[in-house]
Amino acid sequence: MYDLRLSLTQGSYLDQTELLNAVSSIDHADWITATEPRLILPTLVDASSAAQSVIVPGRLIGTDTGSAQTRVNDLYITGGHGLEGEPADAPVAVLEHKFAAFYELPPQGDIRLSGDRSLRYVGTGLSPEYFVVFTDEGGMMAEANFAVVFLSLQTAQTLVERPGMVNDVLFTLAADADSDTLRAELAVAVDELANVGASFMVPQDDPAYNMLYEDIAKDELFWRAMAYLFLAGAVFGAFNLATRLVEAQRREIGIQMALGVMPRWIAIRPLLVAVQIAVLGVVFGLIIGVFVGDAFGDLLQTMMPLPISLQPFQPRIFLEAAALGIALPLLATLFPVLRALRVEPVDAIRTGHLVAKGGGFAPLLARRASSRVLTWMPLRNLLCAPRRALLTLLGIAAAITLLVLIMGMLDSFAVTLDQARVELLQANPERMLVQLNFFYPENSPIIANISQSPVVSGADASLKLGGYMIHDDTTVETLLDMVDMTSTLWRPSLASGSYPGERPGVLISAIAARDLGVQPGDTITLRHPQRTGLLSYGWAESEVEVSGIHPLPLRFQTYMDFRQAEMMGLAGLVNALQVTPAPGVTQDQVQQALFDQFGVASVQPVSAVIRVFEDLIGEFVAIFSVMQVAAVILAVLIAYNSTSINIDERRRDMATMFAFGTRVRTALRVEIVEHLLTSIFGTALGCVLGFAFLVVLLTQVFDVVIPDIEMTITVQPLTLLVALVIGVLVAVLTPILNLRKLIGMDIPSTLRVME
Amino acid sequence: MENRTGIRHSIIELEQISKRYRMGDVGVAALDNVSLCVAPGEFLVVLGPSGSGKTTLLNLIGALDTASSGDICIAGQNITRMNRAQRFRYRREMVSFIFQSFNLFPGLSALDNVQFGVESAERKPNGMTAREMLERVGLDHRLHHFPHQLSGGEQQRVAIARALATGNPILLADEPTGELDFKTGIQILELLHEQSHLDKTVIIVTHNREIARVADRVVELSSGHIVRDGVPDNHKTAIADLSWEEARDETMAIVDALVLARLASAMAAGRGDCADHRARHRHLQRTHQHVPLAAAVE
Ligand SMILES: Nc1ncnc2c1ncn2[C@@H]1O[C@H](COP(=O)(O)OP(=O)(O)OP(=O)(O)O)[C@@H](O)[C@H]1O
Ligand SMILES: [Mg+2]
Repeated sequence: MYDLRLSLTQGSYLDQTELLNAVSSIDHADWITATEPRLILPTLVDASSAAQSVIVPGRLIGTDTGSAQTRVNDLYITGGHGLEGEPADAPVAVLEHKFAAFYELPPQGDIRLSGDRSLRYVGTGLSPEYFVVFTDEGGMMAEANFAVVFLSLQTAQTLVERPGMVNDVLFTLAADADSDTLRAELAVAVDELANVGASFMVPQDDPAYNMLYEDIAKDELFWRAMAYLFLAGAVFGAFNLATRLVEAQRREIGIQMALGVMPRWIAIRPLLVAVQIAVLGVVFGLIIGVFVGDAFGDLLQTMMPLPISLQPFQPRIFLEAAALGIALPLLATLFPVLRALRVEPVDAIRTGHLVAKGGGFAPLLARRASSRVLTWMPLRNLLCAPRRALLTLLGIAAAITLLVLIMGMLDSFAVTLDQARVELLQANPERMLVQLNFFYPENSPIIANISQSPVVSGADASLKLGGYMIHDDTTVETLLDMVDMTSTLWRPSLASGSYPGERPGVLISAIAARDLGVQPGDTITLRHPQRTGLLSYGWAESEVEVSGIHPLPLRFQTYMDFRQAEMMGLAGLVNALQVTPAPGVTQDQVQQALFDQFGVASVQPVSAVIRVFEDLIGEFVAIFSVMQVAAVILAVLIAYNSTSINIDERRRDMATMFAFGTRVRTALRVEIVEHLLTSIFGTALGCVLGFAFLVVLLTQVFDVVIPDIEMTITVQPLTLLVALVIGVLVAVLTPILNLRKLIGMDIPSTLRVME
Repeated sequence: MENRTGIRHSIIELEQISKRYRMGDVGVAALDNVSLCVAPGEFLVVLGPSGSGKTTLLNLIGALDTASSGDICIAGQNITRMNRAQRFRYRREMVSFIFQSFNLFPGLSALDNVQFGVESAERKPNGMTAREMLERVGLDHRLHHFPHQLSGGEQQRVAIARALATGNPILLADEPTGELDFKTGIQILELLHEQSHLDKTVIIVTHNREIARVADRVVELSSGHIVRDGVPDNHKTAIADLSWEEARDETMAIVDALVLARLASAMAAGRGDCADHRARHRHLQRTHQHVPLAAAVE
């Protein structure tokens, strides 16, 4: 991968030879060990076959394929062959691997590009800049919606009719090079050459690089947070179980204490059991861990195919997990054992030892007039052993917390997406965005061809520019959409503030406003491209007012009035349009019709922009959907387990009831009501905790993992309903599932055995 | 079949009952061809060494368990032919258990435990409330205590109150005094004995020969067979042996009460005269007043 990348300001092109001469004339030219001039242009790629229709926006990258000397970013060929053997001007290309893989395209074939040009691709390949595919708008893992076409520089120049021109250069630097010095020198050189602006990137600025290197730390933070959450659930389960196990032995412990056995000897037996369980659990867990790790590795490998992918065994993590896995159950057992040892032997031995000393809260109800004992029995049972009830309740709460957290995450994604969809579609869901490959005069035939095409009924000219917003010391990268703020077709809506007036003003996203620390009415500095010549653009800074906040939850999205284009020296120029299909014309037909127009880089329904969001959070949606299933299963298991333990503890009471001829359905009702009470409170607690964790996770962790999207934290009624249904169903179903055991119970034996 | 009173029909009839357990290849016959008839209002003690099948017998009569062979007729109904629902109903309406380990509901107060008995029979016995039941067993000062706050004797008295509260005609008590001291045992025994005068059939399982002496009739089991059936040994003179030497006089008072009651019962047997029952009951209460039980033994 490159060490330094120079990009000319959008719309600028320079002669290849002149530019390279300028580069080699700088003071520290000897720091540069390789130079790769490139021509990069937006395009629309049609890779449709008889089987499927594939038309997506993309990028043409023309690069010198001849000598190894000029190769900075290598192409790793995954199918077919590379361009090395092809003549420099052959109309052939290599297709980006992920796009080809997503649509299962053959390793060689034909594609069409906008402007009605055909190309043959001879292979597919991976390039480090697209190890993770990002769209211009910041869409991540966007291989479904973004096609990169690699060509020889000459082929690209011919294709877009810019012979000899380039707009991008990659450098490899010597080890002792200072990239800041180089940047400054290169910027001056480029400016002197043609009064053209240049921006620079080091790998750390590259989203793909970031995703792979910098974001690993953030991703790890996120996965660790999830892992600890699951761990917390598991620890809780272990604690719950251990407490119950020890509680069941309390009578024996009491007898041993009464017999004068040393407490440490008494403690050893339950602790040995705990060690046994912990060791078995750890061995089992590690084996599962190896398999899950493998499967996850494979999943990541398909999500992010890299030329080389290693999945070394992680002894440290496994050791950590093993240590935790052994230590936590031990601790979980130690606590109740110590508690049991503190109990006076007499209390441990006497019947009803599970009942809290003093009967818990039962005395509260004791003096209530006695009628319908069986109706009140569940509540009394809970009150007289509040600790036990609490354990069951917390077990259910833990399960529901996990469930609400994960489903709430999906809810928040969905609501955020919906919010974006509502804003982008508004009253005109058919709206389409046309992107041009260059700036064209508003009154040029190219624009007229589009706006007066019979397939469209309305068209607005607009400008799409990249830039930066600066306030105090904070800089936010932005995508500036200059649109007609009086348009009847579509205009951004306002979350707060007002539309810009005569003074230059911008509508920014709430998240950008927060990052910049500004409110409507404040002034920020906008760093934007400014036209300096026919094909040359430089950077300029202007003070603009933040007139309002738009509701799109994308940090980098900024809107400005099209009429302010003068500020950029772009008055009367257009590089994008929004159009509405004519009545009776489908979006597909518009796409087909405009595809062949000269100058058109891409035509997309606005709904495709929503895909940017889907791309950004899609990875998480996919993983969370899987985790949701796991969470439901876990929730049901934990709740079932807690409830089952409780049922076992009630066996003796049940046997007594049956000895008195209490009907099975009455006894069942007592059980169900008791568990319903615990369950409903547990579920309610779980919902509250789940929401709390959701807020923490989305504001603290997700904010770092996907900083560009503002999540609307939501738990939808359906999620709460699912939680409630699971809570209630488990409470109702567990006793029913245990019914056979209950009915088939050997009453004499159950009654015979001492507690 | 022998019937001691010879007048009334039997309320409980066991005919050639066997109960066998299989433990792998080894078969255990807990009961082997046992036949037995019990008259209404009878106070029967089942005696026998450990493992002789006493509990098994009681569980079969209470329909908690099913016999391997033979028939059990209770009040004319063959309970061995009953399905599960009918057995539940039978237990609800005919029998009440008193367990050696009490088996009170730990989450319910004494009053509620008794109330459970009241409600499980779905009718009020003798129009008595749970509170009155507890008063009768001398626990009116422990109404709101929970089982773990009660002594063993008190717990057993609650259990008896609960069994009585059902109003069911048959009381089955498996070693009700097994976990209690002598003094408390006597109290419990007396409570149960009193029931037989209220027209309840009481079967008490014990291996305590002292207890057996106050019974109308003793059935002795050994290895699953009935080895003896009749009036207890020395049942008149043995009463004195129920006491400790140092507490002889006091105990005599209790035993007197028991004997009186038993005699009255024998006199009334066969007539089923309600007025007479009440008279006997009054007599007993008077006896209590003269010689309070607690004082009597202490
Ligand atoms: N569920 C069972 N499975 C196998 N054998 C059993 C079972 N229940 C009882 N027995 C056997 O049946 C026999 C009679 O048991 P039972 O409980 O009736 O004795 P018991 O006379 O009540 O003794 P104890 O006075 O000790 O209570 C015993 O030998 C016992 O081992
Ligand atoms: Mg027994």
